[in-house]
Amino acid sequence: MKRIAIALTVNGKAVEVVAEPREHLADLLRGTLMLTGTHIGCEHGVCGACTVEIDGVPQRSCIVHAGSCDGASVRTIEGFADDAVVAALRESFSREHALQCGYCTPGMLVVARDIVLRLPDADEARVREELAGNLCRCTGYRGIVRAVLGVLADRRAGSSRAEPR
Amino acid sequence: MTDASKGLGVGASLRRKEDARFLAGQGRYVGDIVRPGLLEVAFLRSPVAHARLAGVTKPPGSESSVFTIEDLPEVRTIRANSALPGFRVSEQPVLARGKVRHVGEAIAACVAASRAAAEDLAAACGLDYEALPAIADMTTAHLPGAPLLHEDWPVNAFLEIRRTDDVSGLDAIAAAKVTRTLRTARQCMAPLEGRGVLAEWDPRLEQLIVTTSTQMPHVIRSGLADCLGLDEGQVRIVSPDVGGGFGYKGILLPEEIVCAALAMRLGRPVRWLEDRFEQLSASANCREHHYVITAWADRAGKLLGVACEAIVDAGAYSSYPFGACLEAAQVGSILPGPYVLPLLSCHTVAACTSKPPILPYRGVARTGVCYAMETTLDALARKLGITAQAIRLANLVPPQAMPYRNLVGKVFDSGDYPEALRRAVAAIDVDRIRARQAAGEAVGFGLATFCEQGAHGTSVYHAWGIPFVPGFEQAHVRLSPDGVLEVRVGVHSHGQGMETSLAQVAHQILGIHPDKVRVVLGDTALTPYSTGTWGSRAAVMAGGAVAEACRQLADRIAVIGAALLQVSRADVTVEEGRVRRRGAEGSVGIADVARTWYRAPQNLPPGVDRGGLEITAGYRPDPDTGTHSYACHAVVARVDLETGAVVLEDYVVVEDGGTLINPLIVDGQVLGGLAQGIGTALYEEMPYDGDGQPLAATLADYLLPGTTEVPDVRLEHMATPSPWTSFGQKGIGESGAIGPPAAIVNAINDALAGLGAEVTDLPASPSRVLAAIEAARRRRP
Ligand code: FES
Ligand code: FES
Repeated sequence: MKRIAIALTVNGKAVEVVAEPREHLADLLRGTLMLTGTHIGCEHGVCGACTVEIDGVPQRSCIVHAGSCDGASVRTIEGFADDAVVAALRESFSREHALQCGYCTPGMLVVARDIVLRLPDADEARVREELAGNLCRCTGYRGIVRAVLGVLADRRAGSSRAEPR
Repeated sequence: MTDASKGLGVGASLRRKEDARFLAGQGRYVGDIVRPGLLEVAFLRSPVAHARLAGVTKPPGSESSVFTIEDLPEVRTIRANSALPGFRVSEQPVLARGKVRHVGEAIAACVAASRAAAEDLAAACGLDYEALPAIADMTTAHLPGAPLLHEDWPVNAFLEIRRTDDVSGLDAIAAAKVTRTLRTARQCMAPLEGRGVLAEWDPRLEQLIVTTSTQMPHVIRSGLADCLGLDEGQVRIVSPDVGGGFGYKGILLPEEIVCAALAMRLGRPVRWLEDRFEQLSASANCREHHYVITAWADRAGKLLGVACEAIVDAGAYSSYPFGACLEAAQVGSILPGPYVLPLLSCHTVAACTSKPPILPYRGVARTGVCYAMETTLDALARKLGITAQAIRLANLVPPQAMPYRNLVGKVFDSGDYPEALRRAVAAIDVDRIRARQAAGEAVGFGLATFCEQGAHGTSVYHAWGIPFVPGFEQAHVRLSPDGVLEVRVGVHSHGQGMETSLAQVAHQILGIHPDKVRVVLGDTALTPYSTGTWGSRAAVMAGGAVAEACRQLADRIAVIGAALLQVSRADVTVEEGRVRRRGAEGSVGIADVARTWYRAPQNLPPGVDRGGLEITAGYRPDPDTGTHSYACHAVVARVDLETGAVVLEDYVVVEDGGTLINPLIVDGQVLGGLAQGIGTALYEEMPYDGDGQPLAATLADYLLPGTTEVPDVRLEHMATPSPWTSFGQKGIGESGAIGPPAAIVNAINDALAGLGAEVTDLPASPSRVLAAIEAARRRRP
């Protein structure tokens, strides 16, 4: 089988790998790069478990060819250790019992962070709509939705405090 | 107990200890584990439902990497027998032998360095078969003349069960009688992580080590050893983090056995990871029931009797360990529900069809039976012109009757069933719904009341005749030299947070901070035997066992602690992690006691128990007939009469799980089950065509509820302790998944009552809702 060379940045580090043209990004991350925090739930783009950030945008790594990521910057759940938003989400996910088996959790966090940053005024209906592409079979979603809303509310309270009146 | 220690023990909504690793993406599931020299397996699976197998042509050069059943003569078939009289046991080969009996049945294992290469190999295999007629419809499968799936059987049925009370006099005395024909869909349990197996042979230990995503490592060990002809000492099962179970991972898999046999044969680690296509096409294996049910009531709505003809589509084989009849055998015993029922006549067939073998999915038979009973009750109420609440209040077992033995011998331990109903109804503005209906809106109110038998033990399962019967649940507790408590239990966690709940139980008894309690699960080499986590049993059984082991350990700690304090055993108590003098100053920490036993034994008192600071204790509630949690679900649903779409406007659950060990975790179990129940009610269906082909191949066809389908549920708890368990806790893990189809369809039918339309089949998809409306229009134009 033919292999192609790919150079990309993963969690801030430059990596050079070779992969089969048919290999998808999730397999590359989990296999060659041993970043197993990115989970695979369907491999056809529906469940969202494999969501990672590609060039700053959440995407489903199971339907992205590894080869198409040449030159891209990819961030996985392992790459958010210093991220304040993800830290706040981790705290609120635990508080609201937004995870059970943990399998959907990395994908949920990547999407939740994007919601928090992109839609600071999102209400519950909007948060639910934005999360609709990430399936969780365990929690019934209430905790997840509340966790995201909690971080949004904290950030709104924080920024209104910071603004002089 | 001081307030501070109550804040961490039984009853505390402690945040979960396991969260940190999952939030960091550091959970370890089977698919995350690799070994040097790992080989991956892809299975060649049957493309047809029923066929005589003529042969597999291996691609040239792949003779030693493609394996059929002929290549594995040492492997025995899977046999899950039952003691139920008349049960027909199937012989399930781990790879098809002679015949295939459902789409997706594994025929050959293809081994390569990567899964992709293994799949290439499977695709290159030739398959020779002669198609036979499929047996795809459970309502005709067991009739004489149908083609036989197992040719040595007289009919396509694993079992027929009958209970016959004489209901012939009821027509004459009943004020109302209704009959309904109802159907539930075949479903996939669809945990987000599929199944997965990694098998390796350790030549030093002469042991097969199988890392597998399972709910019941010890049971798998027994079954695997049996099929491979090994003794159980030669088999170790490790179940790492499990990405959701729900019953899907409570089975001995043919794939587990094949991977194990190949690892031994090839001397290399062998792994198989189920993908979603395999799961949907080869393992749609639960829930499909058919009912013709008749109920009689007097003018006040009091039930006079129920008669039921039920069929359960049990699929092609009897799965190990629960067998093909766990659901069918329970239909009759669950039908009375939480009600006082004087007469019951019930005939149930476990039909054998060319579909994947049935497994017990969260709620097991209760979800379908509750659906049948509760929708029939509402039909009766409509006929009598009384409300859904009135008919239930007329029949619910009253609190003063507890403990109550019903007509089929189930014993309800405690609770106030009518109060749960009253609270749920009070939480919803029913008058406003009636007003909206009067204004022409298609909105409806639906109820379901039910109870969930959980943690039932030896006496119950012995009578059901499953291949293993749960006995005393054991826990092993051990203090480390620095005072950390290790707790080892044979149940497993697949999201239930056992690492936290069981640490809370230990804390409740010993006062050791939960951070200093390590709960070890999921490894037959490290934990005492258990039948595992299923049947809503872990909180009661493992919780009880850990409490018992900690109590016994507390006594040994007290003896050593008293000696260190230079007082007698009777003068000390163990609390807050310390041995304290009663009514006087002075204490020593449990860590000091541990240090003394391990590192300063010269200070031990004479006659100290030589067993040291570790205990294995067994526990079983007495009586062991199970706890009964119960609930009332109340739903407001709006129906779009143009599209047939259903919107859940409000959802209230009033639930009684007895004493809650960790209310946060219990809420999560109820809410998670509820989302699955909503899936059963409205979305999830694996349709099969007449040729036995499953028609939903992706999650875009098989619809799992997402954030926009599951409402923000309101949850209320009652907390009536079970008189029979260690803290009054009851099994409650399945409850959420039981009520939704009944409550939601009752709400839909209430919304459609003005049109005279009724939905009878699940899921209540837009097309079924529209069909019901259309049928009503045709009946009264
Ligand atoms: S695994 Fe990528 S969307 Fe499901
Ligand atoms: S926590 Fe299990 S899938 Fe979401």
